[in-house]
Amino acid sequence: MAPVVQTINLHKTYMLGKVPVNALRGVDLEIESGDFVAIVGPSGSGKSTLLNLIGALDRPTEGKVIIDGVDVSTLNDDELAELRRRIGFVFQFFNLIPRLTASENVELPLAIAGVKKRQRKEKTSELLKAVGLSERAGHNPTELSGGEQQRVAIARALANEPRFLLLDEPTGNIDSKTADMLILLLRKLNEERGVTIIMITHDLNIAKQAKRIVRILDGRIIEETSNIAT
Amino acid sequence: MDVVDIFSYAWGGIKLRKLRAALTTLGIVIGIAAIVALLSLGEGFRIVITSQFERGFALDVLTVTAGRGLLANIITGSGSEEYLALNDTYTMNEIAGVRQATATLSKSIGISQGNKTYMVTAVGINFTEYSTIYSTSFQLEDGSMSLNPANDSIILGYRLHDPWKNGTILFNVGDYINLTWTTGSITKPIVKRYTFHVVGVLKEIGGISIFGPSDIQAYIPITTAQKIFETDQVSQIQVQLVSSEQETIDSVTNSIKNIYGDKVTVISPSAMLNTFSSILSTVQLLLAGLAGISLLVAGIGIMNIMIVSVIERTREIGILKSLGMKNKTVMTIFLCEAALIGLVGAAIGIVFGLGLSNFVTNFVFPLISTGTSQPNGQGNRVISNIVPVLTPTVCVGAFFFGIATSVLFALYPAWRASKLKPVEALRYE
Repeated sequence: MAPVVQTINLHKTYMLGKVPVNALRGVDLEIESGDFVAIVGPSGSGKSTLLNLIGALDRPTEGKVIIDGVDVSTLNDDELAELRRRIGFVFQFFNLIPRLTASENVELPLAIAGVKKRQRKEKTSELLKAVGLSERAGHNPTELSGGEQQRVAIARALANEPRFLLLDEPTGNIDSKTADMLILLLRKLNEERGVTIIMITHDLNIAKQAKRIVRILDGRIIEETSNIAT
Repeated sequence: MDVVDIFSYAWGGIKLRKLRAALTTLGIVIGIAAIVALLSLGEGFRIVITSQFERGFALDVLTVTAGRGLLANIITGSGSEEYLALNDTYTMNEIAGVRQATATLSKSIGISQGNKTYMVTAVGINFTEYSTIYSTSFQLEDGSMSLNPANDSIILGYRLHDPWKNGTILFNVGDYINLTWTTGSITKPIVKRYTFHVVGVLKEIGGISIFGPSDIQAYIPITTAQKIFETDQVSQIQVQLVSSEQETIDSVTNSIKNIYGDKVTVISPSAMLNTFSSILSTVQLLLAGLAGISLLVAGIGIMNIMIVSVIERTREIGILKSLGMKNKTVMTIFLCEAALIGLVGAAIGIVFGLGLSNFVTNFVFPLISTGTSQPNGQGNRVISNIVPVLTPTVCVGAFFFGIATSVLFALYPAWRASKLKPVEALRYE
């Protein structure tokens, strides 16, 4: 079976002022459907850059990102946008739209994908129930705690039944107790629904909950371990 | 994303910054209101002017004057050598398409009552012919018109009878009135006095008269006029046609030109009306253009605000793109925000504009036109009669113009928003 995400000799160089920064220096990675991968590394190691490339938010300087068998570099802006509808992003700072309620935030990707209103409502309430936030559906993000916002973000990411979830430091802005609950939720999604999860973190305790840990340093993968404990 | 979703999302964006949106909208409101007010006042003005002209006019009557016309005489600085005489009406009566020609002779005279003298125009006419040609306007309110009027008969325009419309009668049928005519040179004026007997008062015509009967003229038999004004000339010959169609007007005009060459000027009311109408339209367009400048300023305001808004919402745009929104949808959202501002602004602007023009006609114009106590005052009546007219074309045009301006000036900011790179947009603090 073809991997959901595959990167081949991935390079990314960007300019920091006039200084070129080699964020990625040849990353080869394969992620199968149903996997739960944690990408760990210190800040500046290139893990966020890798996430942006896997999420089709950015284009590589060299090498290829293949998502579902499609080489991302061959796609134009519109095709990339359509591809992103099949990727569920969860950002470190949640990135909810402040003026929309929790349920409107979850509904937004469905509206963008052109799903009909009635189906959208059904799906939204189902997702909010899955992340345990049915009661908070009508609240704006500012009225929600960090953990609650994070769960809204996960519900939003799941809305279009993505091929995989991409999480950027999902526990970076929530307390440890909430973080534990979040990990439980992610594992449940992975095990019960078969959602493929790719998560960036610098917290080793969180990373240990994944099936697979990929260590990255200075733009290269330095170690890959399968987590038998799970 | 369907249209309803796009609009409701855009509306949400506007609601977020209410004051800012309100102020931006105000710009459009002012621009559209100015355009609507000026155009509806202009249209009202045009209607009043046109109807005032038309009241004195008979569209089937050509006016023939000697010389190359008033303007040409002023430019060349010479009076006309040629002149028209009473018997020229016989020549014109022979022309095909002419029903009847009649001559008039106008002079400025004084009419005295007590120690007051009013300057009016005395017009020498053939009572029978003149009243036939201008049968709709030359009608008696009081008195009677003899087919063979006595030499001292005079018929007065309505405003010489009842100038203030409050029952204070200046002259009545049966009165004898003193007419003074000043001739000679400026340094050695010779004042001649005559007494006339008022045999009739005309019904009120209204309007401004150029060639036809008017409320502020006095009519005497043309033979008397030629005698007292010591001339065998006539001022004008009025030629009534068999129809008011352009073909007839053209053919008779050509016939007259063939006979008299460049020695006479032929003026048709419809041509004058057209000229006047086109001048007014030009003025209206100019006014609308001036008002358009305020809309231009409003448009720049929208552009400014939209650019700020795009910068502020960079992160939001990044989020939308990460959720799979296409560039053109992002652009459409911002254009919709502008369109909504334009729509609301234009709608309010039209209402405001109409209110403004009504305010001007109801409260400002009366201030200008007070103190009209002279029997020969005319301009004030025009102003006080103006009613703003908002044509459907102007209304719909202003509405879409407001929206179009907003959208046009939002094109650049919206394009900028659509071209933001998702990674950079998401990184924006």
